[in-house]
Amino acid sequence: MTNELISVIKVHDLLLATMPSDPDDATVAALQEETLTAMDQHEVRGLILDLSKVEILDSYFARTVAETAQMVGLMGGETVIAGMRPAVAITATELGVTLGRTRTALTVERALELAGQRNNATRRR
Amino acid sequence: MNVQEEGEVRIKEETDIAIARRATRDLATKLGFGVTETARIVTAASELGRNTYKYAGGGVMLWRALIDNDSKGLELRFSDEGPGIADVNEAMREGHTTGGGLGMGLPGAKRLMDEMEIQSVVGKGTMVTVRKWRRR
Repeated sequence: MTNELISVIKVHDLLLATMPSDPDDATVAALQEETLTAMDQHEVRGLILDLSKVEILDSYFARTVAETAQMVGLMGGETVIAGMRPAVAITATELGVTLGRTRTALTVERALELAGQRNNATRRR
Repeated sequence: MNVQEEGEVRIKEETDIAIARRATRDLATKLGFGVTETARIVTAASELGRNTYKYAGGGVMLWRALIDNDSKGLELRFSDEGPGIADVNEAMREGHTTGGGLGMGLPGAKRLMDEMEIQSVVGKGTMVTVRKWRRR
């Protein structure tokens, strides 16, 4: 069985991780390890988690996303979840899923802007 | 209520949960459910399929395309020969878990679907049936 994998790339001083449309549990579990390892390797400031391809967010997937954001926080980074589809947002809310206090953005572009603004604000201080 | 078509997916391994989701998505799309309704159905299938795998060590998802008068719908039935649920009312309670999860599987799946029935006998197994009808 073929399953698309998570893509993790470095954009400036951020990591951009893109989830496939319907990842199996092993792929979801790989999200934590791959992103945290890449955070460490590239010494980036944070993680943008692109969910724009994702068609379903069940409780297991949502919990893994929330935990990953928490772990990134422990490492000193910030996570922005980007691009959640309307159907996914509706369904996840009805299911009872929350992503804690993780920041969100409508698109990856907005998430990059958000992260950039924060960066400038930090520099000005 | 007539059954138009049916099939099954065996849930033996963790990857079978994703296979059950794909079968459910294909069926929902074929029956003309919209994007959001399909997401609800597939999410419910994922929660129930995971319960079957996690609590009973596996089982079967039987899917059916239904016609009732003029309404089209689908039914998913998850059956296993696991330990059974001692207190179904308790299992339906939000946040209740015996498996280290978040305890939103059963109540969450019920909210996402139109109908849900649970039959369980301790030591024999569990059968959870959910249905969704197409809105016109």
